[in-house]
Amino acid sequence: MMVKFVRTSLLIICITLPLSGCWDIKDINHRLLPVTMGIAKQGEEYEVILQIPQPTQNTTKIKIVKETGKTITQAIDRISMNMESSVELLHLRIIIIDKETAELGIADILSGFIRAREVSSKTLLVICDEELDSFFANVNGAMESENIAIFDFFEKDKGWTPHIVLTRVWEAFRSIHSYTIDVAIPIVASGESTIISHVGSAVMKKGRMVDRVTSDESLLFNTFHGEGAEGKIEVMDKASVLIVDSAVKNKHQFVDNRPYLQCQINIDVVILEAQKGATNEVIKNDLEKALSNRFKELFAKIQANKADILGLGQYYRSNIPRTKLKEWRTAYYPALTLDVQFHVDIRNEGYIKNPS
Amino acid sequence: MDKSLHVIVMYILTHLALIFFVYPGNIIDSTTQGHWAAIFIGVAVHFIFIYLYMKGLSFFPKKDLISIYFGAGKIVSIIFLLPLACYLLMINIITIRAYSEIITIVFLSNTPLWAIMALLLSISTFIAISGIETIFRTGILLMILFLPPVLFVFFASFQNVDWHYFLPLNSDLGFFAKREFYQSFFAFSGGFIFLGFVQPYFSYSRKKILLAAVALVPFFIFSVYIPILTFGQATASLFTLPYVVVVDTININWLMFDRVTMFFLLSLITFIFLFISLIQWKTVRIINKCIPAVNSVYVIVALSLFTYLVCLFIPNWKEVKNLFWWNSMLRFYILIAIPISVYMIGLHSKRGGKQNDG
Repeated sequence: MMVKFVRTSLLIICITLPLSGCWDIKDINHRLLPVTMGIAKQGEEYEVILQIPQPTQNTTKIKIVKETGKTITQAIDRISMNMESSVELLHLRIIIIDKETAELGIADILSGFIRAREVSSKTLLVICDEELDSFFANVNGAMESENIAIFDFFEKDKGWTPHIVLTRVWEAFRSIHSYTIDVAIPIVASGESTIISHVGSAVMKKGRMVDRVTSDESLLFNTFHGEGAEGKIEVMDKASVLIVDSAVKNKHQFVDNRPYLQCQINIDVVILEAQKGATNEVIKNDLEKALSNRFKELFAKIQANKADILGLGQYYRSNIPRTKLKEWRTAYYPALTLDVQFHVDIRNEGYIKNPS
Repeated sequence: MDKSLHVIVMYILTHLALIFFVYPGNIIDSTTQGHWAAIFIGVAVHFIFIYLYMKGLSFFPKKDLISIYFGAGKIVSIIFLLPLACYLLMINIITIRAYSEIITIVFLSNTPLWAIMALLLSISTFIAISGIETIFRTGILLMILFLPPVLFVFFASFQNVDWHYFLPLNSDLGFFAKREFYQSFFAFSGGFIFLGFVQPYFSYSRKKILLAAVALVPFFIFSVYIPILTFGQATASLFTLPYVVVVDTININWLMFDRVTMFFLLSLITFIFLFISLIQWKTVRIINKCIPAVNSVYVIVALSLFTYLVCLFIPNWKEVKNLFWWNSMLRFYILIAIPISVYMIGLHSKRGGKQNDG
């Protein structure tokens, strides 16, 4: 009896000791959980800015800390060293990258994040059009008084609109290595009346920013990927409509080593505003023309840069042997002929009838 | 008594534990396109040999693998049982060392390795000491608790797939020349041997086990294809644990947990506990049969202490991979020789029995 009791209790102790995990315990009040990280490369060094929310009695204060280092890890380590708590990047939601840094390339930064795994691969990437210092300073004052966070602008259930391209760390990492797909990253700046203003998207090719597109073009980008619903667009000064649904149909052909793509985009719209004389027919035609022109411009721009942000190379994976597929961006993509057709369907006109 | 359910559950759980970690990486490394061919060859080999194995075992309805070999003679039992015992011991060491490393890579980056290994080993040893009935009952419990989250994450991991990455379809047979392809058989050969050990305790229907193996086929396919469909071959081949990286990218707004990876991994690690305890139990069965005098509890404890010490001496992931490779020869011996030998012995004894009757 006694022996059994002793044996059982010994066993329980043996099991509870490793289970408790007592050696690396760090209470939550000794952890700093930044939600936004800014990265700028200055010469050989990385400058890292962390935006750390600190809950006080009624509101959340936002603290900004800055440090430089040869690597991002070193910079964060230095912050940890100089702060009274340790910095944990587990809850990082947004990484803001300086524009110059993006133009130099962010491949190393991204592989660092994926490798170390502390930063979630779902973190959103954003490029900042101004100096990071002034951006954070401008944004911070406004955010503290209104008690919001930067990532609210990018959350689908919060302030996101279809003009904003959402690109996560893993997608950007994929585009660095994938043969046939690139990404776009939203560009922001601090706004005058609003906290943040969205100024378009960066075209990233293999982890380097090569060009930028406007926010209207970003909407087309999102529409092409099936995420354009609920986006408002203006039409030729005559009317404005709301996209309620969109569907993309692609037909691809590969003849004589040249790719051809026939792309039909069907969108359903609702009329929001219409000026006198703007009949449904006029609105429909104008919209179709305007959209396809805009799409052609967007495509011409990205094709000239050899950046496949629409992921068109994906359609030709079966046509081009894998050894050649590597050269998709340089050998095949510039020769791609894209025929885009928009088909607009006006679903309804709201409370006021509109002449058809 | 027919306890097929227990055996099926055990079969599925132990295989799931093995599939999602090293297997996708091995297949992705072994070929650059048409991975289905590599997967299907593995699956076909698996089916052929479990069928042979079970067919062979069915000649001896109330005997386990050890008594079958002992019945066939001393030399036969040495030829087959000694490598089997070595193999099981090595699997035990590799599994514990590899999975504790995986745990540190994925989430417990600050926890010392010795603690994780001690945890893995002590719990499995505890289950193994309690015997085969406990292992199987635990299996049912773990299935009820942890199979739902695993399946949920498995289906959720389709979130970011881009089916275009399925192409190009045509496969070259270049993977036959790759080490990684042979290593991928770890996922096939690790789990099925136990079917020969449970016979006197649990009887099962052959058909149901084959059905369970069929049910596992999608997991084999998609554990490889989900990383490829999400990232593309060029990117997926960069990852140590491709499937885990994909699970990290799952974004579910309505779920209150940010990282589902944790649930997925912890669920699979409970299956690993089960797998390790099953292996320990099998090893001890063999040892005990050869040296019946020693109490089996002491054998298990001594065995796990030995395993623990060896694990402590493996310094890094590269060495784990090396061990994995050295183990391959033995693995194919086990995968091929044991089912065939059991079948042959079975045929032989059946024929002999008939002659005696006549």
